[in-house]
Amino acid sequence: MHPEKVDKLATGIILTLAGIVGLVILSLLAYILATGIPHVSWDFLTSSAESFRAGGGIRDQLFNSLYLVVLTMIVSVPLALCAAIYLSEYAPDNRWTGLLRLAIEVLSSLPSVVVGLFGYLVFVLQFGMDFSLLAGALALTILNLPILTRSCEDALRQVPYLQRQAGLGLGMSKWRVTTKIVLPAALPGIITGAILSAGRIFGEAAALIYTAGQSSPAIDYGDWNPFSPASFLNPMRPAETLAVHIWKVNSEGLVPDARAVSNGSAAVLIITILLFNLVARYLGYLIKKKLTK
Amino acid sequence: MQNSVALEAKQLAVFYGEKQVVYDVSLKFPANQITALIGASGSGKSTVLRSLNRMNDDVATVKGEINFHGLNINEPKVNVYRVRQQIGMVFQQPTPFPLSIYENVIYGLRLAGEKNKEVLDQRVEESLRQAALWDEVKDQLKESALALSGGQQQRLCIARTLAVRPEIILMDEPTSALDPVSTSQIEDTLVQLKEKFTIIMVTHNMQQASRSADWTAFMHQGHLVEFDKTANIFMNPQEQKTADYLSGKFG
Repeated sequence: MHPEKVDKLATGIILTLAGIVGLVILSLLAYILATGIPHVSWDFLTSSAESFRAGGGIRDQLFNSLYLVVLTMIVSVPLALCAAIYLSEYAPDNRWTGLLRLAIEVLSSLPSVVVGLFGYLVFVLQFGMDFSLLAGALALTILNLPILTRSCEDALRQVPYLQRQAGLGLGMSKWRVTTKIVLPAALPGIITGAILSAGRIFGEAAALIYTAGQSSPAIDYGDWNPFSPASFLNPMRPAETLAVHIWKVNSEGLVPDARAVSNGSAAVLIITILLFNLVARYLGYLIKKKLTK
Repeated sequence: MQNSVALEAKQLAVFYGEKQVVYDVSLKFPANQITALIGASGSGKSTVLRSLNRMNDDVATVKGEINFHGLNINEPKVNVYRVRQQIGMVFQQPTPFPLSIYENVIYGLRLAGEKNKEVLDQRVEESLRQAALWDEVKDQLKESALALSGGQQQRLCIARTLAVRPEIILMDEPTSALDPVSTSQIEDTLVQLKEKFTIIMVTHNMQQASRSADWTAFMHQGHLVEFDKTANIFMNPQEQKTADYLSGKFG
């Protein structure tokens, strides 16, 4: 065959396959939004869930999901960042660091239900945390760490080696080069990676069913004392998240409008994750602009 | 030698792992002069240069002495950060930090803890003047250094090195990434700088060595072949290898 023909054929095949992928994803998204958005209203977002009657909302579940993401990030970002700094700036290339990388890769493909059961045994039972936001946040941290570490490491590695050399050439110590030159330059990538991983754990259900629990007791949004049992900020209270709510309503929901509630929740979940992504992009863009001004 | 010696390398040998790449190089670099290290790719000239302020610490084993003011700075107990403040380095590619021009120049000073604004202002102007960049950037000191041209960026990096007031400046092919106009500007700058600093540079560019350097060392396959005044090396080389290299028979 002529090279031009081969080229045309290959381009055609690639475009078709890419088109199929795009079509599948877009139609899924369109379906979720089309079936869900009609049920989303201000009332749906701001009222609490019902156990037996129709007309329940998702206020607590939505808040729990967001709060859990914040708690998880507080635990996982410092850990992942330190690990990434070690791997990218300090780690020698030897068997021990090879093992470490392998462990991170294996950890990143761990099924989330396994992480959930591990969290149940260790955090909930062994450490006596009961079903709580904290136990959920720790389980999500296990899920989040490998991916976040990897994205932080990538961001750090993308800083040109010459920048490090320039710093060393000025008589800076390695630690100073890392904190004053490498880290600021990698910041846009780190922030983007953190927000994207936040979006991923926002939709997590399996790891939370046995850790953060499936119930949401009445909470008081006026109580700002995190140690008070009824406070919305108390990390030791059980908390059903949005994704767990979707699972529960579908599997054992007793409300007559279970279908509508789960569709609406799914739409809210997708839209929130979309917002996470948009915010990540915009922040990355802002920081880049500020650095190159 | 009529000049005093700024830096002396004595029986320098460098190994990358098991592989030896520099053999028994002894050189005395005269103060307030420009010394060029020339040689083909892989001759070890950059390795020698980078050993002089311990930039090879992480990647290679350097044996031998490097004497600076009567102190062998190739000893493990020597503070390498102080060494690098005294013996600065300018790299092949311009490496400005993503900061303003002003902040780039005083980066090293700020790290040393200097806070007095008058001192900083004065040092920025002095360093930029020495690097022959002041007139071009004096009205845009607060703007990003990344907006400068490649040649300006390289002179900014020279200014940044000068601002910590080193005695010696090492330059690793400082103009190889630049166009001819920027190259000649930097060469002019070097000639002015040698009044205050000792300059040691690696270059691939024969004309550059013959134009700007007072002394030239020719290296071949890890060995120092010949070291003399630049004029002697180029007009009247003592070694056949030097003559062959300069006439383009290899390299």
